[in-house]
Amino acid sequence: MNEFINRIDAQRRILQLVNGFKWESEELFGLSAKAIDRWVAVNRIAEPRLVDLVSQAAAKLFFLANKSQEQVSPEYRATAQEVASMANAIEAEVKRLREDAAVNVA
Amino acid sequence: MHIYAFGSICRGDIDADSDVDLLAIVDEQNPRLSPDVFSIYSYRRIKELWDEGNPFAWHLSRESRMVFAANEHDYIRSLGNPSRYRNCVRDCEKFRTLFRQAQQALATVEANSVFELSIAFLSIRNIATCFSLGIGVKPSFSRRAAFDLGERNAPIPEELYNVLHRSRALSTRGHGMPPRKVEIDFAVRGLPVIENWMSGLVEIAQQHERVHQSN
Repeated sequence: MNEFINRIDAQRRILQLVNGFKWESEELFGLSAKAIDRWVAVNRIAEPRLVDLVSQAAAKLFFLANKSQEQVSPEYRATAQEVASMANAIEAEVKRLREDAAVNVA
Repeated sequence: MHIYAFGSICRGDIDADSDVDLLAIVDEQNPRLSPDVFSIYSYRRIKELWDEGNPFAWHLSRESRMVFAANEHDYIRSLGNPSRYRNCVRDCEKFRTLFRQAQQALATVEANSVFELSIAFLSIRNIATCFSLGIGVKPSFSRRAAFDLGERNAPIPEELYNVLHRSRALSTRGHGMPPRKVEIDFAVRGLPVIENWMSGLVEIAQQHERVHQSN
């Protein structure tokens, strides 16, 4: 599939993982630094590891966006692989948050 | 290094939601340049975009102003016109696919509505820009490019376009009031008509390409 569409799909996957958790005020609307800052501020998120993972994944996706689409280099592939690994780590963090929230309710 | 302003500030169609688009062209990664402030491209990548006639190259060639150059040399002007834009059909199909994926996600996943509506906005704007550039009507790079196509203008009510535009601002700049559930539902109900409009553009682009190839 087209690299541009793949990158949007990678963003979608990360946002779906993050927004799988019911945040206090607003979901995460995008992976720009300003959207992430807003999400952290309005929800008063104190989960540095999750915020760091989301920010890093976003930075890597923006890095890929400025790479040549014609020359999908080993560096490009490695970065795309890193984004996939980060998505798995984000999934684990969100799962932990859900479990913590369930314990707190109980 | 070269720095350019481009987009709405160069067209003069700024409003309260506009930000200033800045492009930095560099030889190598420069830690002083924040990707949150600048679109950062290498000289090599800019040259590639020019050679392939990429719509972003056309956008820069038409709507950019140099803000800084270490040597006063205007790099973008020195490149002249980009090559002829040849990928209109491919790009229009790509943005229709992107739109359909957002539509599908909105129908199946409850979360992420704002993001998906922002992708719908991106698809609508970009397909209109590519179409205007590829078909030879006056190229439009405006955020309202979908309404610069004359008889092919998008059949999108203003209230719906506003919801999509607000979603885009939230997704990219973290700015604005999130749409209410009723507004999201209204927007989702309007998407099939837009998809139909996009398919019409793809069809015209395909016909145009066939005629062009046979000449």
